[in-house]
Amino acid sequence: MLKVAIVGCGKIADAHASQIQRIKGCEIVGVCDRELLMAKQLYERFPVKSYHADLSELLNQARPDVVHITTPPQSHYEIAKFCLEHGAHVYVEKPVTLFALEARSLVALASEQGLKLTVGHDDQFTHVARRMRQIVQDGYLGGAPTHMESYYCYDLIQPGYARALFGDKQHWVRRLPGRLLQNIISHGIARIAEFVTSDAPRVMAYGFVSPLLKRAQEHDIIDELRVIIADEDRATAYFTFSSQMRPSLHQFRLYGPKNGLILDHDQESLIKIRGTRFKSYTEKFVPHLDLARQHLGNLKRNVNTFLARDFHMKSGMKFLIESFYRSITEGAPLPIPYREIQLTATIMDAIFEQLVPRRTAAANSLGEPDRLPQVRQSVLEGAVRQPCRV
Amino acid sequence: MSPIHGAHGMSAAVEGDSTVAPNDPILITGATGFIGSRVARRLLDRGFRHVRCFVRPSSDVAGFEAIAGRSRDGANIEVIEGNLLSRDDCMAATRNVSVIFHLAAARGEKSFSDAFMNSVVTTRNLLEASVQHGCLRRFVSISSFAVYTNTRKSRWRLLDESSPVEKHPELRGHAYTFAKVKQDEVVKEYSDRFRIPYVIIRPGYVYGSGNEAITNRVGIGTFGIFLHLGGPNTIPFTFVDNCAEAIVLAGLKKGVDGQVFNVVDDDLPSSREFLRLYKRNVRRFRSIYLPHALSYLLCGLWEKYSSWSEEQLPPVYNRRAWHAFWKRTRYSNEKAKTLLGWTPQVPTGEGLNIYFRSCREKARHA
Repeated sequence: MLKVAIVGCGKIADAHASQIQRIKGCEIVGVCDRELLMAKQLYERFPVKSYHADLSELLNQARPDVVHITTPPQSHYEIAKFCLEHGAHVYVEKPVTLFALEARSLVALASEQGLKLTVGHDDQFTHVARRMRQIVQDGYLGGAPTHMESYYCYDLIQPGYARALFGDKQHWVRRLPGRLLQNIISHGIARIAEFVTSDAPRVMAYGFVSPLLKRAQEHDIIDELRVIIADEDRATAYFTFSSQMRPSLHQFRLYGPKNGLILDHDQESLIKIRGTRFKSYTEKFVPHLDLARQHLGNLKRNVNTFLARDFHMKSGMKFLIESFYRSITEGAPLPIPYREIQLTATIMDAIFEQLVPRRTAAANSLGEPDRLPQVRQSVLEGAVRQPCRV
Repeated sequence: MSPIHGAHGMSAAVEGDSTVAPNDPILITGATGFIGSRVARRLLDRGFRHVRCFVRPSSDVAGFEAIAGRSRDGANIEVIEGNLLSRDDCMAATRNVSVIFHLAAARGEKSFSDAFMNSVVTTRNLLEASVQHGCLRRFVSISSFAVYTNTRKSRWRLLDESSPVEKHPELRGHAYTFAKVKQDEVVKEYSDRFRIPYVIIRPGYVYGSGNEAITNRVGIGTFGIFLHLGGPNTIPFTFVDNCAEAIVLAGLKKGVDGQVFNVVDDDLPSSREFLRLYKRNVRRFRSIYLPHALSYLLCGLWEKYSSWSEEQLPPVYNRRAWHAFWKRTRYSNEKAKTLLGWTPQVPTGEGLNIYFRSCREKARHA
């Protein structure tokens, strides 16, 4: 029986606990939150053996094999490091860390300790995302991708999150070096990182505060972002984050030398786009029939998956957790290669460096890992003191 | 702002049997909210001169200036911006306070953790800060009818303060219910441990200008068409100004420490009557009535499916929820009338007219 613990008992911890309890061969031996009441409420609602306010106590008493870290990102690095040093495998919610250097440091530590690490890029493991991956592996694109477009939008009208963020000037999201963007864009960037071959792609970012937020006197939260990512001279990618565009897309478009694919996360649909054209007027009629057939196919597949009781909103998270646990217990490959985790963090670093000047200075001064705590402190303080300007 | 206030002679000077003197500081959390703003006005109208309003930094406090302008000479509205999750902010807010009206809550929150954090952790922080200061004479905690199980069928289905509370609120499937049950528990725990005098107010469905929604006790519109579930049930309405008056009395009346009060108005309409009036006065829409036996069956089926499918559909409709929201029930406000001396000054008919007018206004500006 794999012993699992959860550190951080906020909203996302519920999703973890829900999915973990659906997986056979594991049990939640403890939950931990600095606020004991929060740990207790999770303990009361799920089959959990113990609750704690202290991480050392959790690790020493519950002795988990795996720790899920669902705290705000500011603490991911320290908690993950502490858990790895105490012999526990680690699943860290996204974004894995505040800085790419920290992500690299955690990967190195995990490897050194003979332990496993993964990050909560669970959107990469929904039914449709897995289907897309299989089709790409089967060669449908006709070669390596030449261009990608990743849309990851966020509707700030959603009452819960927006009310918490805008109502609290000290909200932890505001204190992230990349603010709102850092907490949200990982999923959309990870989709691109999966297909980027260079370890240091060129990143050009442009961000601004939307008129809506300006009207609400929110001048510090960048909620519109456009990014071009150049994978040397092989491939390019556009990334779009928007709080204002409608529909509020969560899409990934992948184009190869022969064909393309469009994945829609919200609708759980995958559409194949043929690279060749029909002759003359037939191009204006036949493709529509093909698209209609594909949409009906998506509908049928979704209905069947629902009827099979396998269409949970967090099905991707369950698959990712199960795969991660298999990599621990059976030595199966990691669900997310370390390279992809680090590359996602590297691209995000590059984006925020262009949006937040102070962060650039601190990032440039990064040298050896043992200077990390001072640099973190410097950047975090700066993020609190200084408004985020483009 | 609703012009109702004062129109029915509710305002009264501070009476002799009050827990606090006119110059004692009084704290209101959630003071810019639907009920909180009315509580603030009532306290000022009663002659209290030091009302401290705790608000989120994003709250619109312009309304307080108007309230202060209407109040009696020498009244001081102190606005403190902060977050009840911060212990420091709670310490600052509760300094020298004699009565706390704790109205801030996580309404409409779907996440259990967030609802818990914004109801229970915040309440605990306020209570702990009050213990530190040692000058609190009354903590008025706002709970809800949602905390009752309502499974008991004796006494002609009467629901009153002696009715049992959910022992497993996590199984109700509603974050708000879970948070409110736990909030009540933390208030009682701190009272037992530190002798904090408290009163718990459990309003029914608070309606009025500022809350134009149709309560789910009448029905739900989730599935594209309005499913009318209440039918002949009495809906436990309380008009916002009536509710605010009960809350104020709960903070001021001597000799009611440790009591729980349900707040519902008199002459309550049935769900069917309300829906008919709403359609006549606000807008027409299609609704389908589901008889109680059918709605109970559907809630049971949803509950079973949710469990069988490992919550592919969340268990928001279940038999516990049916008992709490859609079972035919009678309500009593006798305890509040007897011990608090409360009477609902705005008659239900008049309250509904104000509510319908407000609904029409909102629809016009939508």
